Amino acid sequence: MASQRVFQLGLRRAVAPGFRVQPVGRMLQRRLAATSGGNEQSASEILAKQRLLRPVSPHLTIYKPQITWYGSGLNRITAVILSGGLYIFGIAYLAAPTLGWHLESPSMIAAVAAWPVWAKVSAKIAVGMPFFYHCLNGLRHLSWDVGVGFNNMTVQRTGWAAVAASAALTLYYAFST
Amino acid sequence: MAFIVRPSLLRQSFASPAAAQRVFSTAASSSMRQTSPLVQQLRPAFARTAAPKASRIAAFHATQRQQILPPLPQKVVGTTNDPTPIPDPAPAHGSYHWSFERLVAAGLVPLTVAPFAAGSLNPVTDSILCALLVFHSHVGFESCIIDYFPKARIPKIRSAAMWALRLGTVTLGVALYSFETNDIGITELIMKLWHA
Repeated sequence: MASQRVFQLGLRRAVAPGFRVQPVGRMLQRRLAATSGGNEQSASEILAKQRLLRPVSPHLTIYKPQITWYGSGLNRITAVILSGGLYIFGIAYLAAPTLGWHLESPSMIAAVAAWPVWAKVSAKIAVGMPFFYHCLNGLRHLSWDVGVGFNNMTVQRTGWAAVAASAALTLYYAFST
Repeated sequence: MAFIVRPSLLRQSFASPAAAQRVFSTAASSSMRQTSPLVQQLRPAFARTAAPKASRIAAFHATQRQQILPPLPQKVVGTTNDPTPIPDPAPAHGSYHWSFERLVAAGLVPLTVAPFAAGSLNPVTDSILCALLVFHSHVGFESCIIDYFPKARIPKIRSAAMWALRLGTVTLGVALYSFETNDIGITELIMKLWHA
């Protein structure tokens, strides 16, 4: 009996060194948790408080800059620039007669023709870069939609290819009159 | 062997009654509070849970927390055992809508390439390009509004933005119709502006 008890104690100490076992009958246990009957109201209060402790998405700055998500973000930014420009032009075109602006094509072409060369080239780069990037990246998106080129390595390669090709096309069309 | 079986017989070996009490209790004891996080990790699991929470977490967070959107006050819908409500499925959402958007996007590809190859577009093709651009832009802005103006957080700004977008899209449609019928059309305009 005693030797059995000693063996058991030794085993328990080996498994859990912090746990000191008392002889039976003198064990002092403290349970810090207690249960009590609650109502539906307090239960939903506790749940609502607990839900506030759920993890929240961290800010973008914790992620490493990579062509995958940078390209995706750039796709949306260029889209907003292009479509925003179209919306602004459309609304201004309708408002032009009332406000006395001249947004009909001959006057716009004449106005742009009067610009210095550096202004024309800068404007072409400012419009061309978003346009070419969004078009080429749109082709990537369409290929992903049919399940082509979704490999991680391929996505990175085509991502850089879209950046390079849009830069080349922009420079070509900006400087070729 | 008696002292192994009954450690309480060794009462005289403890300096104070408090120290003896600490050994005999399985509750969270005061000796755990001063130990380092590494020692806490080496403890058995049940002893670790008794360690103060801050001392366990602080060691792993060296930088400030930057939350993109802190959580709102929570409201429990239904009983506490119900999961978070899932929106009702609607046939206008999801894959049909998505497929239609893809079709429009794919349709824009030849209409975008053609002016570069041919120099310009005839008025009918140009009008088709305008219509597809209006739809594509509307859907794109709609996605932006859905992403950046969450309904649960800012419902009024969300619906205001949606209505502003609808108004803007209708205005753009009217403007482009007017421009296509009264003026030279957008591909021709861009080409002439480019070579101006």
